[in-house]
Amino acid sequence: MRALCWNGINDLGVETVGDPRIVNPHDVILQVRMSTTCGSDLHFIDGYIPTMRKGDVIGHEFMGTVVEKGPAVKKIQVGDRVVVPSFIGCGSCWYCQHDLWSLCDNTNPKGELQEPLFGSQTAGIYGYTHAFGGYAGAHAQFVRVPHADNDCFRVPEGVTDEQALFLSDAVPTGYMGADFCDIQPGQTVAVWGCGGVGLMAQKAAFLLGAERVIGIDRFPERLKLAREKVGAETISYEEVDSVLDVLKELTGGRGPDACIDAVGMEAHGTGVGAAYDRAKQAMRLQTDRGQALRQAILACRKGGILSVVGVYGFMDAFPMGAIMNKGLTVRSAQQHGQKYLPRLLEHVVKGELDPSFLATHRFSLEDAPKGYELFKKKQDGCVRAVFLPN
Amino acid sequence: MRDTIQQPGARLPAASPRGGRLGSQRWGWPDRGIQRTSEERLPQLVSALAGGALLTLGLRRGRLGGVAMALAGGGLLFRGTRTEQEPHVRKHGVIVRKLRRQRGRDATVELTVLQRSITIQGTPEALYRRWCDAETLNQVMGHFADVTSSGEGLQHWKVPGVLGQDLEWDAEVVEEHPGELLRWQSVGDTALPNEGWVRFRPAPRDWGTAVTLRFVFDPPGGVVGEKAVQLLGAVPAALALKALKRFKSLVESGEIPTTRPNPAAREGGYSF
Repeated sequence: MRALCWNGINDLGVETVGDPRIVNPHDVILQVRMSTTCGSDLHFIDGYIPTMRKGDVIGHEFMGTVVEKGPAVKKIQVGDRVVVPSFIGCGSCWYCQHDLWSLCDNTNPKGELQEPLFGSQTAGIYGYTHAFGGYAGAHAQFVRVPHADNDCFRVPEGVTDEQALFLSDAVPTGYMGADFCDIQPGQTVAVWGCGGVGLMAQKAAFLLGAERVIGIDRFPERLKLAREKVGAETISYEEVDSVLDVLKELTGGRGPDACIDAVGMEAHGTGVGAAYDRAKQAMRLQTDRGQALRQAILACRKGGILSVVGVYGFMDAFPMGAIMNKGLTVRSAQQHGQKYLPRLLEHVVKGELDPSFLATHRFSLEDAPKGYELFKKKQDGCVRAVFLPN
Repeated sequence: MRDTIQQPGARLPAASPRGGRLGSQRWGWPDRGIQRTSEERLPQLVSALAGGALLTLGLRRGRLGGVAMALAGGGLLFRGTRTEQEPHVRKHGVIVRKLRRQRGRDATVELTVLQRSITIQGTPEALYRRWCDAETLNQVMGHFADVTSSGEGLQHWKVPGVLGQDLEWDAEVVEEHPGELLRWQSVGDTALPNEGWVRFRPAPRDWGTAVTLRFVFDPPGGVVGEKAVQLLGAVPAALALKALKRFKSLVESGEIPTTRPNPAAREGGYSF
C-alpha cells in the first residue's frame, strides 16, 4: 500500500510499504477514508521529539471502514464506518476502567522508552514516535487498529466523514480541555491557540456552560474562525502590548476563571521570554518553547484552573511560584477519547457541534507532503489539511 | 539502576551446595505487609524461628538431606518473615543490582538480582493459576527465552543465540504456595545457574494484585559465565519488568501488545 512516511527531520515522503495484517486477536484493519494533520506531528517533523525511525508511517487522526477483523472482535463488524481515538486503549486495565484511556497500561509495547522521561509509560498511539509504541500511522491506505471493540466508534447515518474525522483527536482533546475546567455558570474561559484543538476547546467551553470564551492567537484567519464559527472573543497577541492586561480588562481585573493551553511546546511569542526559549531550543538545550503556557499561568485568576492539552516534553523556566501562590489547579492529559466519543457523536447528531469547518484543505495521499508544508507554515489560511488515501 | 557492592560473600552465603544457598535465600516483602494483630504475629514469629533453625541445620549438613531441611526451613521462613522488608531494599531503595561474591579462593563473580513489581487486575488466586499454565510462561518470557514444559513442575528454558550458542537449562519448581508464591530453580549443569520466584499479594481497593518477579542469575567463573553475564548486562533491568508487563497485558487484555510486523518504508516494507 501507499503511505506517508517520516524519512528524517523535515523530510516526509509517500512510499510503498507492506499492508497491515491482523496481528493480535482484537485487531481490525481499516481502509482509511480520511486522515488529517495535527500540530503535534510538527514536533517530530521538526525533530524536537526523539525515537522516530526513518520509514515510519505517520498520522494519528483518522476514520475509515472496517475491512478485516480478528477472531476476538465481537461488536465491530466488517463494513462498519468508524472513527478511532488517537490513543489506543485496552479497555480492561485499571486506567481504562476509570476512563483514563490515554494512560492505558497495555497498549504501548515500547513503554520502557518513556520511563526515563515520564517515570511511567502511557498508552500507545498510531503514527507517532517509538516511545509511544511505534504503531504504523493512518496517513496510509490501510491501518491496523488494536482492541477494536473498545477503540472503534460507529459513525451514525447522517454524520459526514469530515464531521467524524475530527472526533478522532481535535474534538475530544479540546472537549477534555474544557471539561477539566469544571465550568460554572457565568464563568470566562481563555484558550491559547486557535488551531483545531483550540477552536474545539472554545466550542466545548460554550457547550459546557461558559458565559464568555476568549481565543488567543496571531493568525487573522484563525481568529476569524474563533469569532464566526465558535462565537468567541479574540485577542491577537501580536497586536496588543500585553495579553495579560487585555485579559484583566476583559474580566474586571480578575483574570479568566480557567485558562486552556492548546498550543504546546512550539509556541511562538513576543518579548524576552520568547527570545530566551528560541535561543535555548535552537541550541538544543531544551526541547520546549513555553510562552503560551507561562502566559496562561500568569493570566489565570487566583484559585482558577489551568488546563493543559498542548503537548510538552521537558520545559524549564516554569513559573511554579505563580501556580503555588495563586492556588491554581493544574489539570492535564493526552486525550481520553474513548470517554468522550459517545457524547461527542450525540452533539454532532443533534446539530450542536460541527467540526468540519476545520478542514480547510483537501489532498490526495500522494500530495500529503504538500499538505503538511501548507499546514506547518499556515499558508493560505490552512487550519487542517485532510487526506483522502483511497 | 544498578550498583556493585564490593563485599565478597557478605549478603549471600557461600557458594557450594546449591541447597544451602537456596535455603538461605532471604525472603523479601519489599512493600508494606498487611497489618496484623499480635495474636497473628506470635505463630509467625515461631514459624520464623523454627524456619531459621532448620535452615541453619540444613546448611551445616550440606548435600541431600541438607537440601530437604533447608527447603523446609525456607518454606517456614517464607511464612515467618512476610511483613519484613528485604534488607537491601530497606537500605538502598534499589532492587536491581549486581552483587560481587567470592567463589573459591580468589575468583569473584557477579550475582545478578533482578526484581520488579507490577499491579494487575484480578485476584491473587486467578493470577497464580494463570502463571502456572505452561503456555503462559512461554508467552510471557518470549522476549527473552523459550520456555517449554518438560514434565510435572519442570520447565526447559532456552535463551537463543548468545554469542553463537544457546543458553539452556531445566528449571524445577521448588516451592509452591498456591495464590501466593511460586519458586523455581535451575537444575543440573548450566552456564547460567539461576533461580526465581513470583509472588502475588492483594493490592488496595480495586487495584487487584501486586505481582513481584525476582530472578537471581548466578554464573560460574570462566569465559562462558562472563559471556552469559554480558548477555544479561545489556538488559538486566528490563528483563523482569518486561516479563511482568507481558504477563499483565496477557491476563488483562487478552493479548501482548506488539507492532510486529508493522508497515514501514524499511527493508521489505515491514518493521519487526
